Amino acid sequence: MLKYILKRVVAMAITLFIIISLSFFAIRLIPGDIAGENAAPEIKAAMEARYHLDKPLGEQYAIFIKNFLSFDFGESMTLYPRRPVFTIIKDKIPLTLMLNVFSLCLTVPVGLICGIAAALKKNTIIDHTISAMVVFNVSVPAFVFASLLQYVFAYRLGWFPFLLNLDATFSFSKFVSMILPILALSFGGIATITRYMRAELFEALNSEYMLLSKAKGLSKVQSTLRHALRNSFIPLCNVIIPMFMGLLGGSMVVENIFGIPGIGSLTAASIQTSDYYLTIAVLFFYSIIGLTSMLLVDLSYGIVDPRIRIGGGKVRE
Amino acid sequence: MEKILEVKDLHIHFNAFAGHVKAIRGVNFHLNKGETLAIVGESGSGKSVTTKAVTRILPENAVIDNGEIIYKGQDLLKMSEKEFTNIRGSEISLIFQDPLSALDPVMKIGKQIMETLILKQKMPKKDAEKRALELMKAVGIPNAEKRFHEYPFQFSGGMRQRIVIAIALACNPELLICDEPTTALDVTIQSQILELIKKIQKENNLSVIFITHDLGVVANMADRVYVMYAGKIVEEGTVEDIFYDPRHPYTWSLLASMPNLDTRGSDKLMVIPGTPPNMLYPPKGDAFAARNRYAMKIDFEREPPMFKVSDTHYAATWLLHPDAPKVEMPEHLKQRIKQQLEEAGRYNG
Ligand SMILES: Nc1ncnc2c1ncn2[C@@H]1O[C@H](COP(=O)(O)OP(=O)(O)OP(=O)(O)O)[C@@H](O)[C@H]1O
Ligand code: SF4
Ligand SMILES: [Mg+2]
Repeated sequence: MLKYILKRVVAMAITLFIIISLSFFAIRLIPGDIAGENAAPEIKAAMEARYHLDKPLGEQYAIFIKNFLSFDFGESMTLYPRRPVFTIIKDKIPLTLMLNVFSLCLTVPVGLICGIAAALKKNTIIDHTISAMVVFNVSVPAFVFASLLQYVFAYRLGWFPFLLNLDATFSFSKFVSMILPILALSFGGIATITRYMRAELFEALNSEYMLLSKAKGLSKVQSTLRHALRNSFIPLCNVIIPMFMGLLGGSMVVENIFGIPGIGSLTAASIQTSDYYLTIAVLFFYSIIGLTSMLLVDLSYGIVDPRIRIGGGKVRE
Repeated sequence: MEKILEVKDLHIHFNAFAGHVKAIRGVNFHLNKGETLAIVGESGSGKSVTTKAVTRILPENAVIDNGEIIYKGQDLLKMSEKEFTNIRGSEISLIFQDPLSALDPVMKIGKQIMETLILKQKMPKKDAEKRALELMKAVGIPNAEKRFHEYPFQFSGGMRQRIVIAIALACNPELLICDEPTTALDVTIQSQILELIKKIQKENNLSVIFITHDLGVVANMADRVYVMYAGKIVEEGTVEDIFYDPRHPYTWSLLASMPNLDTRGSDKLMVIPGTPPNMLYPPKGDAFAARNRYAMKIDFEREPPMFKVSDTHYAATWLLHPDAPKVEMPEHLKQRIKQQLEEAGRYNG
C-alpha cells in the first residue's frame, strides 16, 4: 500500500512538472502586456527586468523552474504587484472554501435524495421529473443558470442582493447574499450526484443479491437499506470525493457573476491581466487539487470496497 | 394426507418485446406434508417460473393470468406483500438456480447468513452467530470460523452455492424448494448436501420440491414426480410409476435422455429430437406432437386431458384414450431407462 502511494506521488510530481512547464510556455501565447498598453518605455523596461522578461525564453524557464523547486512561486506582476503569489492564493482560499462548504452541504444530501427517489420510483412521474431536472442541469451552462438566478431573484424580485456582501463579520445579511451564489454553485453537483446515484442504485436493485435477500424474506425496505444502498454507495465515492477537493477550487464563472473575490475570480483576473506567475501558480494549485482527489478516490475504493481492500484487485462481478 | 401446498390451474405469461411468452399454461400439482416432489422437464419447460411464482419472486414483466397457490389453506397469490414476507424465507424457502452472484459482494458471509435469523426470528446475535456457524459446517464449509468473516469473492463458486443453501435452511423452513441446487457442485459435496436435506427433512418433517435434471437425484430423493413440458404437467406419479411404467411419450424420451451422477457429461446420453415449441405461439393440440413419433391426427388438434392410469398415476396423452392404438414404449428406450435405473440404484447404495 505504502509503495503504491509512493509510486502515485512520484507520478503526480512528474505530471505537475509537465503541467507547469506547459503553462509557462502556453501563457506567453496569450496576447497582453504586463505594463499596460500606454506605459512609458522606462516602466516597461524596469518591469521586464524585474521579472526577467528581458532574458531569452529558455533562460526565463530555467530561472522559473529553479525558483519553483525552492518553493518560491514568484510574485504577482500586474494584479497585486509584488505580492508573493502564494500569499495571494492563501488569502483567497477561505472565502471560496466557505461558500463551497455551504454548497456541498446542499449538494450531497439533495443529490442523494433525488437519485434514490428516482431509482426507487423508476419510470414514475417522480423519476421523470427528477430526470428532466438533471437533463436541464446538465445542458444549461453554469453561467446561464447563475445569471438567470441573479436576474430573477435579485433584479426582478429583489429578494436577494446582486453581489456578495463582503463584510468581515458574519451577519444575517451576509448569509442572505450568499444564498444565490451557493445555489449557483450547487447546481451542477446536484445533477451529477443524482444521475450517478440513480444509475447505481437502479443497477443494485436489479441485482441477484437483491433477489436472494427477497427470497430470504427481508422486506423491500430492509433489503434496499442493507444491500442495495450499501453497494451503490461504493462507486459514488468516485463522484463525491472530487467534490470535496473541489471545495478549494471555486468556480470562475459563479465567482465573477456574484463579485466574489475568491480563487475562481482570481484565475480569470490573472489570465486577463497577463499576470504570468500568478496564473501559473493558480493552475498549479488546481492541478494539485485534481491529482490529489484522483489519488484519494483510488485509495478510498481500497478502503470501502472489500474486494479491493482484501482481494487486492478490481473484482467486479 | 395433509396437503401443505396445492397449485391449481396456474397460468403465467411474460410480457416480452416480441409478445406474450406463455410460460405456464395450466399447471396443477400438490405437495403433501413431509413429502418430496421432483419436478423434471426439459430446459425452458417452466420449472423455475413455477417455483418463482410459489415464492412470489417473479420478475416484473411476469403476469399471473389465473390460478391459485394454496399454502396451508391460504391463497398465497391473494396475500399482501407484507403478510407474505413473514412466510417467505421463514416457512417457504427457495434455493434458486444459478445463485453464483446471489450473495451481496460487500457484506461478510457470516452476516449474510445471520441476517434473517436476527431480522426475522429476532434471535440474539450470539445465538445467530452460533447457528450460522453450525449451518456453514453442515453444508461442508471447512474452517467455518475463519470463513465466517470473509467476503463472497473469497469463496469458490461451489462454496458460494453452499452458503446460499445454508441461508435457505437458516430459518428451519417447512417447505423447501430447491431449483437445481447442486448442479454446480462436485459429486461428493452434492451427495453431502442431499443427505443434509434428507436429515433435516426427517427431523423437521420438511416438505421439499426438488427440480433437477438428474435421474439419480430423483431416484434418491423423491416420493412423487411431476413431468413438465411446455408450461404444463404432462405426467405425474410416484417414482415407481414414472420409472417403471411411464405412459407419456415425452416422459419416455426424457427418461432416456436424463443424465445421472455417473453419466453426467459423458456421451452415453440420448437426445430428444426437435426443439421445444416457441412459447410465444404455443401450438394447438398437444405441444409435444411435433416431436412425437406416435402423434396422431387428434394430437395436432386437441389438447389431451389428464388420463388416469392409477390412483397415483396420471398422464396427459391421447395414447391413453380407449380408442387409441396400442403403443408400447420402444424397446431401446426401455433398455436405456432400465440401465439408468440400475445406475441410479447402484448410486443409492
Ligand atoms: N423474465 C422472463 N422474460 C421472458 N420470458 C421468460 C422470463 N423468464 C423465463 N421466461 C420463459 O419462460 C419459460 C420457462 O422458463 P424457466 O426458467 O421456468 O425454465 P426451466 O424449466 O426452469 O428451465 P431450466 O431447466 O433451463 O432451468 C421459458 O420459455 C423462458 O424463456
Ligand atoms: S397426446 Fe399425442 S402428441 Fe401428445 S404425447 Fe400423447 S400421443 Fe404424443
Ligand atoms: Mg430453471
